[in-house]
Amino acid sequence: MFACTASDKATSGSFALGFLKLISATMVPLQEGMCPGLDGDLLRSLLAADIRTVEDLVSSDLEDVSRKCSVSYKALFSIRRVLLAQHTAFPVSGADLYEELLSSTAIISTGNPSLDKLLDSGLYTGEITELSGGPGSGKSQVCFGVAVHVSLQLKQSVIYVDTTGGLTASRLLEMLQSETSDGDEQMEALQRIHVFRLFDAYSLRDCLSALRRGGLLQASGGGSVKAVIVDSVSAVISPLLGGKQNEGMSLMIQAAVALKTMAKDFSVAVLVTNHVTRGGGGGVQPGLGASWSHIPRTRILLERVDRAPSGCSSTLRSATLIKSSRQPCHIKEEFDLQRQSRSVRSSSGKRKRDEADS
Amino acid sequence: MLCGGQLIRLNELLARLEARRCLKDIEPRLFSEDEGPQHGEVVELYGAEGTGKTELLYHLLCRCVLPEAAGGLEVDVLFVDTDYSLDMLRLVSILDSRLTSAGLEEAALRSSLSRLLVVHCSSSSQLLLTLHYLETTLNSRPSLALLLIDSISAFYWLDRCEGGASISRQEEKLSKCAELLGRLLRDYKFTIFATCHTIRRSSSGSAASCSSTLEADRPYLCRPWQRLVTHRVLCSRQEAENHTAGGSREEKRRQVFRVHCSSSSSRTKASRISSFCATDAGVQFI
Repeated sequence: MFACTASDKATSGSFALGFLKLISATMVPLQEGMCPGLDGDLLRSLLAADIRTVEDLVSSDLEDVSRKCSVSYKALFSIRRVLLAQHTAFPVSGADLYEELLSSTAIISTGNPSLDKLLDSGLYTGEITELSGGPGSGKSQVCFGVAVHVSLQLKQSVIYVDTTGGLTASRLLEMLQSETSDGDEQMEALQRIHVFRLFDAYSLRDCLSALRRGGLLQASGGGSVKAVIVDSVSAVISPLLGGKQNEGMSLMIQAAVALKTMAKDFSVAVLVTNHVTRGGGGGVQPGLGASWSHIPRTRILLERVDRAPSGCSSTLRSATLIKSSRQPCHIKEEFDLQRQSRSVRSSSGKRKRDEADS
Repeated sequence: MLCGGQLIRLNELLARLEARRCLKDIEPRLFSEDEGPQHGEVVELYGAEGTGKTELLYHLLCRCVLPEAAGGLEVDVLFVDTDYSLDMLRLVSILDSRLTSAGLEEAALRSSLSRLLVVHCSSSSQLLLTLHYLETTLNSRPSLALLLIDSISAFYWLDRCEGGASISRQEEKLSKCAELLGRLLRDYKFTIFATCHTIRRSSSGSAASCSSTLEADRPYLCRPWQRLVTHRVLCSRQEAENHTAGGSREEKRRQVFRVHCSSSSSRTKASRISSFCATDAGVQFI
C-alpha cells in the first residue's frame, strides 16, 4: 500500500509503527465500559453492524442502528450524548478566553535588543516564532542567546531540541561566562537548559507529542518552562518532503500541532528555525513550503551583512520581519553576533560604555 | 417514542423555525451589489500565507459581535479554531478601537466578547464530533448566526496520510464534516465563513504568469465541501504601491491586500475586486 524505496527499508519498521500511532491518535475506538450502558453485548452487536469508533456511532442514524442491533433507541441516544460530551471540544466564551489569556500571556525577551524591537518586545508565549536563514546566518547563535538569556536572567527552564548537533555545552558556558562571572550561577543556568538530541522526523514527532502530553514538567525536573526551542525543524523534515509521499507532510503537520498545543496549553514561547530556498523572482524565502508557512505566527529572516571595509568575515547580521500580526512587515534591524546582548545600533553614549567594558 | 424524545424534537423544531439574522449586509464593500451571503450559504476565504485572510475574518467577527451603536450586528458567533491561530489580543485591540471611536465604555467590550464562542479542535475526528455537538449549541442560542472556521484545510495532510492510497478514505472525514454542515445549514439557516490555506506556492515574481496563479488557486479539498461553497474570496497581496510624497513613512510601508470575490450561486455570476490594508483598528477598505 505504501511506496517503499530501498533507503526506506531500514526505517520501514518505524514507518509502520508511526502509521499505527497515527491511527490511534485521531480515531477513538469503542470500548466496553466507556460510558454507562455500553456493556459487552451492546458492544458486540455494534461491532457486528460495523460501528467501531465513536465517530461512527455519532454519525450513524440511530433509528437504523437500533433496528439492526435490536437495542432501544433511548439507550442508544443517551450513550451517544454521553460519548459526545466526553470527546468533543467545548465552546468557551470569548470573554473568559480573553481573561485567561491576559493572565497567562507573557513576553519573553530574546536578550538581543534589536530582535526584541522587531518582535514587539520579545517572544510571546502561546505562539510559534520562526527564525529562518541560510547557512552561517546566525540562527543557532540566536537560539543559544535566547536559551542563555531565559535561563540566566529570567531564571526559567528552557527545553532545547537539537536536530543538527550544533549545540555544545562549552559554547553555552562561554556565553554564560560573558554575562556573569559567578561560577554557581553559571552552573545553575546550565542546569535549567534541558537538551533533547534527535536526528529524524519520527523521533521529533514523538518527543514533541510526549512533551505536549504532560512531559514538560517531567523533562524540566519541576522547574517552570518558559521557552521551547527547536533547532532546526527543517533539518529533519525537508528530506522527507517532495515526491508523492504524504508521510513527510503529515509528520510536519503533526509536529506543528504538538508545538502549537504545547505553546497554548503550557503558556510557553516556541522558537523554531528553518532554512531558506530561492523563491520565484530570485528572492530568498523560508523553506518547508506553503503548508508550513501558515504555522508560525511571526517570521524573521536572518541574513549576513556584507560591509566591504571590514575586510575579514563580519559578525554583522540583519534581521527582517517577514510575517507579523503586530508590526508592519519588512522592517529591518542589524545586530552583531559577537555581542548578543548589546546592539550595534545603540546610542553613542552606550557604545562608549561598552567599549570601556570589553 | 417517549415523552422526553418528543420534547427534544419540539425544542429543535422551534429553534429552527426562528429566523436567524441574515448576514447579507455583513460587508457591502466585499461582496457586489446584493451578492452577500444569504441564509445557509458558505463563503470560502482562500489565499496564501500573509494575504490578510485572518485579518478579514477578525473584521467580520467584529462587525457581528459589536453593539449596533458601534456599527455592529449584535449576533452570536461561533469560532472553530483548528490551527490554534486565534489571536485574542489582536481581536480585542480591534474591538477596543472601534468601541472607543464610537464612544462606548468598557462594559460594551465584555458584552461583545460574550457573544463570541470559541472551540479548539486538534484533529478532523474531533472536528466531526464538535460539529455534531454544534446542534446542541444551535438549539440553545437562537441568535447564533455565524460560524467561522479557521481553517478548514488544517487537517488536509493528516487525513491524506491516514487514508493511505485510497482517495475516498483520505477525504472521508472532511466529506462527513461537509455533509453534516450541509444538513445543519439547511435546518438552522446560519452562515459559514471558512478560511482555506494554499498548499502550493505560485511561482510568481512581480509579473505572475496567469497559469501558475490559476494552478495555485485551484480548490483541492473534497467534493462535498466544494459543493457547499457558494462564494469564493481569493486573497492576495498587492505589490507595495508608491504613495504620494505627502504620505508618512508608516503609510508608505503599509501592505495592501487584494480580494477577488466571486459568487457561484444561482443568481448572477458576479465578481468583485476590492482592496484593503491592515491598520491598528483592523481592516480598512481602500
